[in-house]
Amino acid sequence: MLRYLIYLLAFVVGSILGLLYSYKLHGEPYIVDSKLDIKTCIISVVGWNLGLNSSNMIFGGIGFLLAGFVMGERPGYGRKETAIGLAIAIIIYLVLHWIV
Amino acid sequence: MNLMADILINVIIAFLAGSLLLGLHRKIMARVQKRPGPPIIQHLLHSLKFFFKETSFPKTVSMPFYIGIVFILAAVWIVGVIVGPVSKDSLLILFGVYAVYKIVEHNSGSSSGSPYGKASCVRAVLSAATELPLFAAIVLVYLKTGSMNIGNIISYQSANGPLAFSIPLAAIMFFLLLLSKSPYSPFGITKDKALISGFETEHFGFLRGFIMFSESISWYVMLWVFLTLFFGPLTAVGYLIGMIVITFITGFINAVTPILNPNHSVMTQITIGAVCFVGTVLMILI
Repeated sequence: MLRYLIYLLAFVVGSILGLLYSYKLHGEPYIVDSKLDIKTCIISVVGWNLGLNSSNMIFGGIGFLLAGFVMGERPGYGRKETAIGLAIAIIIYLVLHWIV
Repeated sequence: MNLMADILINVIIAFLAGSLLLGLHRKIMARVQKRPGPPIIQHLLHSLKFFFKETSFPKTVSMPFYIGIVFILAAVWIVGVIVGPVSKDSLLILFGVYAVYKIVEHNSGSSSGSPYGKASCVRAVLSAATELPLFAAIVLVYLKTGSMNIGNIISYQSANGPLAFSIPLAAIMFFLLLLSKSPYSPFGITKDKALISGFETEHFGFLRGFIMFSESISWYVMLWVFLTLFFGPLTAVGYLIGMIVITFITGFINAVTPILNPNHSVMTQITIGAVCFVGTVLMILI
């Protein structure tokens, strides 16, 4: 259970950092941001993949920290990036666990 | 692992996971209603924030109850974590936990001295109707598996398949309880917005923080019990997916359903409970 506690804490800390970072970056009133941010997309893909597909507790924790960072951004930001990261990680998870 | 460490880890997990799930619930409701909604982390941030806010005590409160009931609420759901995820003990204790929770709702409202709290306190008595489907579901699980022990029920399901497929109407009854307990539920008559925040209206500062802490744990515990009782032995990924799916479903239902008035709420719960109970007994007999 300690592993899951670390993952949860990492995700929560990442979300808080992501929220603070994105509010610093985007101070404007709420808008629907349809552009894809490549940097956060890469962070999201790396984060979700480490989180879901790494058996190492430290890498998993780092992964959930990064995933939380993107997912925790202020409303309207980081949605597509999270969806892409999560989709790729789930596909790789399924390939590793069910097909191989 | 040391039992105390196990309890501590499970309680923190229950709090964090419950808070995130309730944040997700709020986000889903917002998206269904075409609002951006707060970040998923918001419920957790609110809970933590209240621990550092100034606490004031209204002149009309009955002080021992007003303060004590909040700690009892937290203690009750910590017992829920110990009986459920930690020791996988008896379902009857969990039923007792839920019964005490109803008493806490009642006393929290009556001790505040506020008319909103008192109206919510009266409705808490009516909303005890949610305990009937819960009790009926527990009885049906016992009739099917021959045990009240959660560990034995898990073993039964690993040998015979998930109970959700053999007694689906009992699962629906338990789901009704989850729906009743979820925020902004059509059956949430104790927290009707006409009563401001119901029995919580006069609890400020760290007292509200404790209430939110307990609500997060209670959501996690009830989802855990539902998934464990009806979907057999699950892995951590299974629990995660199950909890997110149920939060999605309840969020969607609550976003599109107005709150029922107390009479309709109680009658609906009792009717669904009775139909599902009779249906399940017939299924077991036939």
